[in-house]
Amino acid sequence: MTTPTWDEPGGPLQGDEFRAASEAIIANIEQVIEGKSATVRLALAVMLAEGHLLIEDVPGVGKTKLAKALARSIDCSVRRIQFTPDLLPSDVTGVSVYNQETRDFEFKPGAVFANLVVGDEINRASPKTQSALLECMEERQVTVDGTTYELQAPFMVIATQNPIEMEGTYPLPEAQRDRFTARIAMGYPDPRAELAMLGGHGAVDPLNKLRAVADAALVRRLIATVRDVHAADAVQQYAIALVTATREAPEIRLGASPRSTLQLVRTAKAVAALEGRDYVLPDDLQALAVPVLAHRIIPTADAQLNRRTTDAIVAEIVHRLPLPHDRSRSPYDTRATGDGRAQYESRGL
Amino acid sequence: MTGRRRLGLVAAAATLLAAAPLSAIFDTWTWLLQCILAVGLVAGAAVLARTLRFPTWAQIAGMILVLLLTLTWMFPSGEELLALLPTPSTFNHFGELFTEAGNDTRSYGVPVPDRDGLLFLAALGIGSVAIAVDVLTVIARRPALAGLPMLAIYSVPVAVYVDSVPVVPFIVGAVGFLWLLVADNVDRVRRFGRRFTGDGRDVDVWEPSPLAAAGRRLAMIGVAAAVLLPLIVPGLDTGLLNRLTQVGTGVGGNGTGTGGNGRINLFASLTGQLNQSKTTDFVRVRTTERDPFYLRFGVADVLSADGFSNRTPTGRPLSRGIDDPRRNDRTDGGSYQQYHAEVEVTDDFGQTLAPVYSLPVDVDGLDGAWSYDPNSQVVFSNRTTTKGQKYSFDYIRAKYTPGELRRSEPLAEDDPIRTQYTSVPDDPKVEALVAARIKGEDTQYDKVMALYRYFSRENGFSYSLQAADPTGGASAISAFLENKTGYCQQYAAALAWMVREAGIPARVAFGFTRGSTRDGDTYVLTNRNAHAWTEVYLDGYGWIPFDATPAAAVVGSSRSEWAPDNDRVETPTATSSSSSAPGADASSGPDSNDRADRDLGAGALDNAGAPPSSGASATGLIVAGSAALVIALLLVPALRRILVRRRRHAATTPVRVTAAAGPAPPGARDVTVTTESARAREDAHAAWDELVDTMVDYRVPVDPTETPRHTARRLIREAELEGTPADAATLLGQAEERARYARTPLQGDGLASALTQVRRGLAHTAPRGTRLAAVLLPPSVILRWRMGLGDASARWMGTLSRGRDVLVRFSPRRLLANRSR
Repeated sequence: MTTPTWDEPGGPLQGDEFRAASEAIIANIEQVIEGKSATVRLALAVMLAEGHLLIEDVPGVGKTKLAKALARSIDCSVRRIQFTPDLLPSDVTGVSVYNQETRDFEFKPGAVFANLVVGDEINRASPKTQSALLECMEERQVTVDGTTYELQAPFMVIATQNPIEMEGTYPLPEAQRDRFTARIAMGYPDPRAELAMLGGHGAVDPLNKLRAVADAALVRRLIATVRDVHAADAVQQYAIALVTATREAPEIRLGASPRSTLQLVRTAKAVAALEGRDYVLPDDLQALAVPVLAHRIIPTADAQLNRRTTDAIVAEIVHRLPLPHDRSRSPYDTRATGDGRAQYESRGL
Repeated sequence: MTGRRRLGLVAAAATLLAAAPLSAIFDTWTWLLQCILAVGLVAGAAVLARTLRFPTWAQIAGMILVLLLTLTWMFPSGEELLALLPTPSTFNHFGELFTEAGNDTRSYGVPVPDRDGLLFLAALGIGSVAIAVDVLTVIARRPALAGLPMLAIYSVPVAVYVDSVPVVPFIVGAVGFLWLLVADNVDRVRRFGRRFTGDGRDVDVWEPSPLAAAGRRLAMIGVAAAVLLPLIVPGLDTGLLNRLTQVGTGVGGNGTGTGGNGRINLFASLTGQLNQSKTTDFVRVRTTERDPFYLRFGVADVLSADGFSNRTPTGRPLSRGIDDPRRNDRTDGGSYQQYHAEVEVTDDFGQTLAPVYSLPVDVDGLDGAWSYDPNSQVVFSNRTTTKGQKYSFDYIRAKYTPGELRRSEPLAEDDPIRTQYTSVPDDPKVEALVAARIKGEDTQYDKVMALYRYFSRENGFSYSLQAADPTGGASAISAFLENKTGYCQQYAAALAWMVREAGIPARVAFGFTRGSTRDGDTYVLTNRNAHAWTEVYLDGYGWIPFDATPAAAVVGSSRSEWAPDNDRVETPTATSSSSSAPGADASSGPDSNDRADRDLGAGALDNAGAPPSSGASATGLIVAGSAALVIALLLVPALRRILVRRRRHAATTPVRVTAAAGPAPPGARDVTVTTESARAREDAHAAWDELVDTMVDYRVPVDPTETPRHTARRLIREAELEGTPADAATLLGQAEERARYARTPLQGDGLASALTQVRRGLAHTAPRGTRLAAVLLPPSVILRWRMGLGDASARWMGTLSRGRDVLVRFSPRRLLANRSR
């Protein structure tokens, strides 16, 4: 069997086919996760953007369920790693074992050798184990004992973590967080959805009934379609402006990386495609700024003391950053003339 | 004391300052005492009400109640309870006071004495203004609006004074208003927080804040501009330009009094003076003549469609002597007698024409500023007024007999006097009338007498100060000939016109009758003795007075042998009907039934102005032109908006695309750039710009951080658009976002109509003020201009500072500093 590489994902789909396929996946997941359409779409978008997803929320809101539902909906290899404090890097990447028969070292692939890797409670593993994911998440390859093994396409890590429990957990290192395309929160379901959940889950776990509605090949084609979505110069400029703003914001100690710019635009393309557009809008970037950028930045101590969450800081940046305009400046754009605050300060007011 | 209460007191004080213009109306200061009392009590009531935390309506009611009690106490009818609580009779009394005040305004000229009615009116008015100012400032927090009631006070002297109004009260009032504004702002700032200087420190108690200093500077400039601008602008009577030109060309006795209240504006305020029931002494004259004719100071000798007006007198200074008419063979007819007269002018009578008996031959006591015009025989000055002057003069009195006058021959057609003094406006009715009257009369004198006699009671003429049309224009004169009711100026003007119509030179003279008061051999002449009569030029005799006004109606009138009283029945040979004539006290007539002098005066103003008709029409033109200019300027933003919309509309009007723009080929990674798509993009952009401008016009905020989709959604939400306009807004948003971000723009021709729909929707939901502003003063245009102005000024400042840098670089001082280093 030839392993499809990342560079040749397959032919793109036409608009109708794309919509049918993507809607089928979403509808499938929504059988399990009710009333969370936006979250489900975002998760799918991250997948189609060839990214990794970090689901962060309090226990019991369905993090793992979403991850598993997404994995089940696609007929591809799925591995699940339960991150525990005693998990070792080799459990993740794989290990070379001495084969008595062949009298040679044989590579036993670890859990990451799958299309979808669900990492549960990722922050419970030690940083040593977590860092085993660094290479595979970014370079989609695993190097063990000097030998590099390519991972299959599509490859996606869906990790969950619990932000509340601090005891016995290791916060994700910055490099690891930067590799996750988006961090999403599940949030509590609304009462109606919770009622439906009671009715459904009371009898049988709907996850068991879930059937795959797509396979790896289809997903590759979907990804190809997303890659083809048009991001106009103005949109790219806006993405850069957004990321740059996080680097320049006074409340932020560490801004978002160039990788985040790339992932922001990619995810925006996926979202646009899911909405049936073949072009990215600044609206997409605005909607994605918080999930894509907020988990990467480190606020200053002052901002932390002021209980400013990174989400709030990013949201504010989105709110005050003017859209790039390739045409003449609008007379109503007072902010574009320069930093208003600087003007006031110079006047001594 | 809280800010509100302090502000209330400031409002009261500002009201009192704004009442300053009333000082120009009243003779004494009683009104001020009463107003201070009324305003103070009203303010006290307001403070009390606020201290007790009364609701707003109770505060207002309290102020009104206190004003009522104060008025009751100050103007009692005698039947109040405890001298304070009003009873029905109090209100009746108030009503009487109102009526009285109405009569007083009609019968008194400024300054008025202390009349109960007027004082009541003043106290009521100022008290009401105080309430209004308090309500606007303290309760509504709109101190700027409080300027309106304050302005109302100022409009009283403006309405009463015929020409200019003293400027000092205006400044005092303006200062009061500014004080109010400043107090309100300081209060606002205090409420907001501390006051800062420019460099970030707190403002100390002793130092003024720079903000306030800037405000004061602006206020000073504003007041100065308000005071100075009218001085410069021509057309206003005290116009500086007028003054300057007057001095330059030697225009002097234009009749515009510059003195206080005692001036006579020839035609203009003659009526006004006659109408005032308050008698002011103007002139005391003592003469050696036993039965003098009228004291004379002015002449109106130009007759145009606007009526008679006065020519600018020209002549040489008195110090160089006056030609004796007896030595002039054109005027040496008749018998002359020389007399001596001493004139003492009171301070109430200040004008640039000095009253003398005609014909003066030697004037003593007037300095070199005074000249004598031999043509009009008036003594005038370009620089000073008669106020407080004392002088004496010798004059000659000519006596003529009708027989002598009949010998006067008609002047030659081309005689300058005849050409100058016989021009008349075309009026067929007058022509016919004159032709009928002078038919069969041979001599000049008989013709004049035929016309003179026409103004008799037998012919239906009657004296009344209540003229139908007081403007004194030609139409008014002909109207007088129709309705035959008028007073001296119309009699004089009508006779002069008719005599001119007969081809005989004539003009109108102004002066004083002999008055009713005679103190020994001194005549005391008052404003009510002002008079006008006709002078006719008979060759060989000079200008001969004819007074056609009924002698019985004019106090101190005089009749001559050659022009006897038309209505005299007992003896046709009487030479005079002096002050003892029966029924001579006609002043009671004018008092009883006449309109306010200001009406007459204001109407006649045109007639008395120095540059007579052309000046008036020029002023009118300037005013009309300025008004048109202002309107045009106001319309410029609206026009600009319409032009912009037109241009964009032209851009969004679709050109029929011949080659249908196909959808982008699948998988195409590039933006399709064809002429059609470029065109469609431009269309969408133009439509979007127009939409954004429309939003600005209708006060829907524009946020540069918003995407088109968002903006359209918010517009629909905030402007409460529904149905078609909402769809149109969505369409415009989509078109713009596709034009900006998609490979292929939206193509279609619905954008222009969508714009119209959105504008209609916005206009439908917007309040009227917004709608009006969107059409007349579109904020989008104004904002653009403001931004352009800001950019330009920033550029200028940049250029200037660069230039300064360059200069500094080459400054020798810098070189010196370097050398010393």
